[in-house]
Amino acid sequence: MDAQQKIREQVTGNPVVLYMKGTPQMPQCGFSALAVQVLQACGVTQIFTVNVLAEPEIREGIKHYANWPTIPQLYVNGEFVGGADIVKEMYQSGELHKLLEGAKQQA
Amino acid sequence: MVAPESVKSSIEAGLACAHVEVIGDGEHFQALVVSSAFEGKSRVQRHQLVYAALGERMRVEIHALSMRTLTPLEWRSGG
Repeated sequence: MDAQQKIREQVTGNPVVLYMKGTPQMPQCGFSALAVQVLQACGVTQIFTVNVLAEPEIREGIKHYANWPTIPQLYVNGEFVGGADIVKEMYQSGELHKLLEGAKQQA
Repeated sequence: MVAPESVKSSIEAGLACAHVEVIGDGEHFQALVVSSAFEGKSRVQRHQLVYAALGERMRVEIHALSMRTLTPLEWRSGG
């Protein structure tokens, strides 16, 4: 399976998917840590996370998948939501809560 | 090391901007980009326009770019 196919299966097979550097317990980058914190603050308990530092093919492939050159990347219900800045802005405006409520119902 | 000024120039060269501010430490940057090209675009689309302007530099030289992307109207109303 190539990286694009694997990514498609990950993002469509799980309601909330975060591509990050490190793990939620041990994030290796401040932006990835921020994304995890924001999701947890929204009450998301089930985050499917992919540590791109451990998977070089995914790290490269994910940049092409959403035409987005940076990590972290958040996907909800198969849709690309954004990187750290966008996730933070959506959290502050309340949009992220609404989006994630929808994801929990589908899960 | 990449100078914030050089990141600013690249953004301006690739995207018609009304206003750009960039600060940074040589690897991590923060930018405020104001452009009428953002009108009617989602946040994701706006960031993609800036990333496109930076092209390969985003892959090679710039570790992280945190940005606020506003239309001239949003900027005037305090963003």
